[in-house]
Amino acid sequence: MPVQFAAKRLGKELNKIQNGLPPGIELVSADNLEEWLLDIRVLDNNPLYLNETYRLKFRFSQSYPIEPPEVVFVKQADRPIPIHPHIYSNGIICLDLLGQQGWSPVQSVESVCMSLQSMLTGNTKNERPPGDEEFVRGNKQRPKDIEFYYHDNTV
Amino acid sequence: MSGQSSIALKEEGNRHFQKGDYVAAEALYTKAILSDPTNPLLYTNRAMARLKMSRWDSVIEDCEECLRLSSLSSSSSTPGSKAPGSKNFKALYYLSQAHLPLKNYDQAVSYALEAHKICAETHDKSLAAVTSQVLKCKKERWEHREKLRRREEQELEGEVVEILRGEMEGLLKGSDDEAEKKETEKMYEDKIERIRAAFERAREKENQRRPNPPDWAIDDISFQVMVDPVMTKTGKSYERASIEEHLRRSETDPLTRAPLTIKDLMPNIDLKHACEEFLNENGWAVDW
Repeated sequence: MPVQFAAKRLGKELNKIQNGLPPGIELVSADNLEEWLLDIRVLDNNPLYLNETYRLKFRFSQSYPIEPPEVVFVKQADRPIPIHPHIYSNGIICLDLLGQQGWSPVQSVESVCMSLQSMLTGNTKNERPPGDEEFVRGNKQRPKDIEFYYHDNTV
Repeated sequence: MSGQSSIALKEEGNRHFQKGDYVAAEALYTKAILSDPTNPLLYTNRAMARLKMSRWDSVIEDCEECLRLSSLSSSSSTPGSKAPGSKNFKALYYLSQAHLPLKNYDQAVSYALEAHKICAETHDKSLAAVTSQVLKCKKERWEHREKLRRREEQELEGEVVEILRGEMEGLLKGSDDEAEKKETEKMYEDKIERIRAAFERAREKENQRRPNPPDWAIDDISFQVMVDPVMTKTGKSYERASIEEHLRRSETDPLTRAPLTIKDLMPNIDLKHACEEFLNENGWAVDW
């Protein structure tokens, strides 16, 4: 018998989300229990992210929340990819919280959005990760299969 | 040897079951049982196929036969062999699933709890599914009880109104004064109106949107009301099925990331009782 946490847990998360999200986080769509879209904004006056809204795509497996969701920024006409030393220009995010090691099942869609918000808020470097161009050109892997090297945990 | 062929029949049945052909699987399990009627495990296989076919009564027969046969074999087996019933949480789990649609709510709950106990002791991977079954049974039992209670209240309302009407009619008959009769009538209509309003208010209150269940009753991993809360070294409690599932993947405390193993988990009995009590009164919380 497979473990079927995902459907119930996501249903309840959605229920909670529809009753309200923290400032700067908005649900765009959650039509099924596999893929959700959310928009986030940075709330302080960090000039790198001023007046911009960013779109996040969450993908959940059957074993969420035991396994982490796959989370990437997606680019649209009015939704750029935020500049950050841990965010590749194709939207892939290098954050230990989202990795196999750093994930914990007490995290949620809401808490992941908040972590990303604060990751942007705290950043002052107007740069991409080292090797961004090469990575973006060459990468065919799904984010969850990439072994990130967390080169700078102070960012 | 017949035992050999019953195993082959069972395996063929399993293949059909995997493909979703439950009728063929059931027929093969039946053949297997005919060739070896004393193997308890063949009965749970057939019960599993019959569950899919919604043949609740025959699921119950198979499971009961399985439990009877296993109790025979375990009492005659040598000491040190597997604990009695250790393999048969499936029979109990299927019994719960069959009793539920038959509206035998108390049996459905108690079989689910028995199956849960065995799975928890053996750290079986089906614990999460069995935990969900416990919650489902408790929810349906609560809904059933609520329906009965509401019906009884409605009947009570009707009875009270009838008594008042009877009293009024008695008084009206005993009086010739038209003014007094009008007065009596008005007084009783007013009383009846107030009784109806009081019952209506009670119903409205129940139909109002329910609040979220309290955080202390909710497992932070599955977001469900806890059935069997266990505590980590830091004193935080989780549903046993959820935290064990996490620890099989990563032996870390979900909050502190400190090392944590299944052996470190301690039952939180007081919280378990509190959750049981909460759920008995608030069965809706299973699907909040």
